[in-house]
Amino acid sequence: MKPLSRLSAASDLTLGLIGAFLAVAAWEISARTGLVDPAIFPSPSLAIRAAAERLTAETVADNLFWSLLRVFSGFLLGALAGAAVGIAAGWYRGFGALARPLIELLRPIPPLAWIPLAIIWFGLGEPSKFFIIFLGAFFPVVTAAYQGMRSIDPMLLKAAQTFGLSGVPLLLRVAVPAAAPDLATGVRIGWGLSFGVLVAAELIAADRGLGYMIINERNTGGSVGVIVVGILLIGALNLITDAAIGAAIKRWIGRWHGA
Amino acid sequence: MTRKLVQALPPLAAFTVLLLLWEAGVRYGFLKPYQFPPVSRIARGFVELSTTGFPTGVSIWSHALTTILRVLQGYGAALALAIPLGLVIGALPVVDKLTAPLIVFCRSVATLSLLPLVIVWFGAGELTKVFLIGYGCFWVMLSNVIAGVRYVDPTLVRAARTFGLKGLELYRSVVLPAALPRIFAGARMALGVGFMVIVGAEMIGTIQGLGALIMEARTFYRSEITIIGMLVIGLIGFAISAGLMALERAMLPWAGDLDRVRR
Repeated sequence: MKPLSRLSAASDLTLGLIGAFLAVAAWEISARTGLVDPAIFPSPSLAIRAAAERLTAETVADNLFWSLLRVFSGFLLGALAGAAVGIAAGWYRGFGALARPLIELLRPIPPLAWIPLAIIWFGLGEPSKFFIIFLGAFFPVVTAAYQGMRSIDPMLLKAAQTFGLSGVPLLLRVAVPAAAPDLATGVRIGWGLSFGVLVAAELIAADRGLGYMIINERNTGGSVGVIVVGILLIGALNLITDAAIGAAIKRWIGRWHGA
Repeated sequence: MTRKLVQALPPLAAFTVLLLLWEAGVRYGFLKPYQFPPVSRIARGFVELSTTGFPTGVSIWSHALTTILRVLQGYGAALALAIPLGLVIGALPVVDKLTAPLIVFCRSVATLSLLPLVIVWFGAGELTKVFLIGYGCFWVMLSNVIAGVRYVDPTLVRAARTFGLKGLELYRSVVLPAALPRIFAGARMALGVGFMVIVGAEMIGTIQGLGALIMEARTFYRSEITIIGMLVIGLIGFAISAGLMALERAMLPWAGDLDRVRR
């Protein structure tokens, strides 16, 4: 154990890659040897071949584009609204007293439970999907922003006040940066939730997007390979975008907090 | 106590005004009753739901029970698998490094995206829903158990070593208790995930359960039932998370101020 712990991060990555390779190899072999029926759970190579036969790059790109457009627009507005409401509720006592009970009342309702109501309000088109993805980002961000504002060190605000800052400048230049780490955590959680909600919404009621692509394949009795490739694609997309948002947050927070 | 009551007054008043405006808006035709069923209609819907039920014969309580049982089955299975596995992986750094990217990826796979595949495996019945909940809970729980064991304060371990503890005994009497707060946090998170997954999973291919109830109500233009279903879902979610938090405080008195320490 001891010499291993001294090895560098590069060897961690190597070990990780070995582990991933072993897992994929085991999956491939179990399907090849008939341990698992390839008709219900095809090996990676078979799945990719089936997907390549049944889907054109254009179809995949088109569905990918719609999924990304939906999730980014919903998330962006949801996170912005959540940050604005959370910060305002934390800063202005009166607004907080009114907004918080309402938020706390609605927060335990998972975003997916809003799907039927979203359809009642906005119909089956894009706005209903946008709305629930918006909610997926809104609630984690609003909660985190409020908590961040409430846990600001009062000394910080007092110090800024002695330097003559007050009102909106005090809020924007001292309080919001101080609350930023909490806010960032909320944004990260919000992204994960928005993404999960996107897939569900596309499965339940959509006519394009990656979620639609896989449920449609199953409803039309298509190939399981396409479904497997679609699931992996959605997973990879989630992983990559989450890492990108994590990196962006780190740079943004790094301006105020030396991390 | 009285101060708390006084503080609760303005929001309560605002809320009542909001509900009255809503009711009036529907009465005078500014809001469509189908899109915004007024409180009076929601109340009547609730009586109907708890007596005759919707669809007829299936009351809201039986829907709620179905949903809770599904979540508990998947959640229980996930915990039973993830806790021992996580405790082992967390204790063996090499295994942890080998499996880390795999676990991250499996966690990134959106649970509900597995639905089409799992339907091919198990059909559209109970097992599919329980499996999906189990999948969602399992990876969240596993990564939290591993992290809990891995990130035990090294000073604590070193201190225990100077007292002569090592091997399994060190693990059992120092590492495990120190990891428990994180494991509990994981259990709480996993239940949240399971609850979210079930609502989505119940919207496809079933008429039992709260997710199915709110979706079915929509297709029959019974939006008040949809809203009642949503409120019950929210209530159960709230009760579960509050209950788990109380349980955590009772069982782990030494982890009292975890949140404050992390900050």
